[in-house]
Amino acid sequence: MKLGKKWLGAFTLTVGLGILLAGCGSAGSGQSAPAGGTDTAASNQASTATTATTAAADKVYQVGTDAAYPPFEKMEGDKLTGFDMDVIQAVADAAGIKVELKHTGWDPLFNGIDTGTVDIGISAITITDERKQKYDFSEPYFEATQLIMVPEDSTVQKLADLQGKRIGVQSATTGEQVVKKAFGDTYDGLKGYDDTPSAVDELFNGRVDAVVADNAVLQDYVKKLTDKKFKLIKDDSFETENYGIMVKKGNAELLGKINEGLNKIKENGKLQEIHKQYFGE
Amino acid sequence: MDWGVIAKYEDLLVRCLFNTILLTVVATICGTILGLFIGLGKMSKNPLWKVPSSVYVELFRGTPMFVQILLIHFAFIPSIWNAVFPDAEIPGPLFSGFVALSLNAAAYIAEIFRAGIQSIDPGQMEAARSLGMKTSLAMRLIVLPQAFLRMLPALGNEFIALLKDSSLLAVIATEELGYFAFSVAKNTFERYPPYLTTAAIYLVLTLFLSRVVVRGLERRFSPK
Repeated sequence: MKLGKKWLGAFTLTVGLGILLAGCGSAGSGQSAPAGGTDTAASNQASTATTATTAAADKVYQVGTDAAYPPFEKMEGDKLTGFDMDVIQAVADAAGIKVELKHTGWDPLFNGIDTGTVDIGISAITITDERKQKYDFSEPYFEATQLIMVPEDSTVQKLADLQGKRIGVQSATTGEQVVKKAFGDTYDGLKGYDDTPSAVDELFNGRVDAVVADNAVLQDYVKKLTDKKFKLIKDDSFETENYGIMVKKGNAELLGKINEGLNKIKENGKLQEIHKQYFGE
Repeated sequence: MDWGVIAKYEDLLVRCLFNTILLTVVATICGTILGLFIGLGKMSKNPLWKVPSSVYVELFRGTPMFVQILLIHFAFIPSIWNAVFPDAEIPGPLFSGFVALSLNAAAYIAEIFRAGIQSIDPGQMEAARSLGMKTSLAMRLIVLPQAFLRMLPALGNEFIALLKDSSLLAVIATEELGYFAFSVAKNTFERYPPYLTTAAIYLVLTLFLSRVVVRGLERRFSPK
C-alpha cells in the first residue's frame, strides 16, 4: 500500500512535469508561427522596402483591428484581409516600419491602445471629437457617411421616421452615436450588437426595423446578398466622416511615421489603387 | 473617472435591472418545472423517457452557455419561427433570453432533482407502495417533499448561477445588466464606473437571493 502510494506520487509528478514541458514547447512554437506568417505576408506585398530597412527599425508594431467589418477588415481563414489591412501594410512599407496585424475586437482595441498591448489601431475608426480627447489620429485616409438599411417594403425615408422603431447598430460606432443624437442616449428601441453582421442578421430576422452603419459596409452587403430584399437610405443630417489611424495619445513619433507613410501612398497613387480595388470607380 | 455616466444612463440601468430580475425569475420557474420532468426521466425505466432526458442533460451541461445563447437566438428561434408561424414576427432578444436560460437551467436542475430523490431511502417508497399507494402518488406525497428540502441549498446555488449567467445575454443585445455595463463602457470610454456599478448590483442581488430567499425557503420547509 505504501509502495503503491509512492509509485502513484512519482507517476503523477512525471506526467505533470511532462505536460508542463509540452505546454511550454507548444507555447513557444505558437508564438513564433504568427510572426513568421506576417513576415512572409509583408514581403509578398511589398518586397524590397521592408527588407532594406529591417536593420534600422526592427521594432514590430502591433496593429489591432476588429475583423468583422467587411470590406474594411475581415478574417479569411486565419488571415486578416480588407481595405484597412492593405492600407496599413502600404503605410508601413512606405514609412519603413514593421507591423504585425491582429484581430482584437472593437472594444479591446481601444483598451489595448490604453494599456500598450496595441500600438496602432486601424478599424474603419471615424475621427470624432470625443475619441480625439483620448487618442491621437493620423490624417484621414477614407471618407464615409452613415446609411440606414431597411427592408424593401419599409416606409422609412429619413432618420426621423425611425422614432419609436427598433434600430440595430454595432455598439459604440458612429452609427450608434447618430441614433443617440437623434433619439436620446437611453432610447429603448436601440439595440447595440457586438458586431455589425449580427445587427444586419437581426434586420433579416425582423427583430429590428433598421440598421444604421457606415455606407461602405452596408453597400458591401448589397453586393453580396442579392437574394435579400432591402434598401439603403441616406439622411441629410448625416455628416461626412473621416477614418483615421489611431495611436496612443502623445505618441508623436509613431504618429509622425504613419502620417509620413500615408502622405507617400497618397502622392504615389497607392491609396487610390487600393481604394479602386475595393470600391471601384 | 467620471461617475456621472451612470446618472446619464439611468433609464437604461432601470430597464436592465428589471429585465435581469425578470429573466432570473422566469428561468427559475420554467427551469424547475422542466428540470423535474427531465430529472425523473433520467431515473425512469422507460427508455423513451430516459434516453432523451440523459442526452438533454449531457448536451446542455457539455456545451458553453455562450454558444447555446448564440445558437438559440440566431439559428434555432428564427428557423423554428419561420417554419411554424411564417407570418408572425420573430420574437426579440428578451424572449431568446428566457428560452436559453430556462433550457440551460433545466439541465442542471434535473441533476439536482435526481440527486435529491435518490438521496431518500428507498425504504420510504417501498413502505408507501406496501400501503397501497401508486408510485406516482408516493413520489408526490412522500419522496418529493423530503427530497425538496435536501435540494434547497443546491437549488439556491443554481439560481445564483442563473442570475449571474444572464449577463451573457448581452451579446444578443438583451437589455440586462451585462448589456448595460458593456454598452455604457463602450460608448463613454469609462471603465470603472459602469463595470463596478454593475458588479455591485449583481452582488446585492445574489446576497439577497442567498441570505433572504433561499434561507427563508429552508426555514419554511424544514420540519419543526
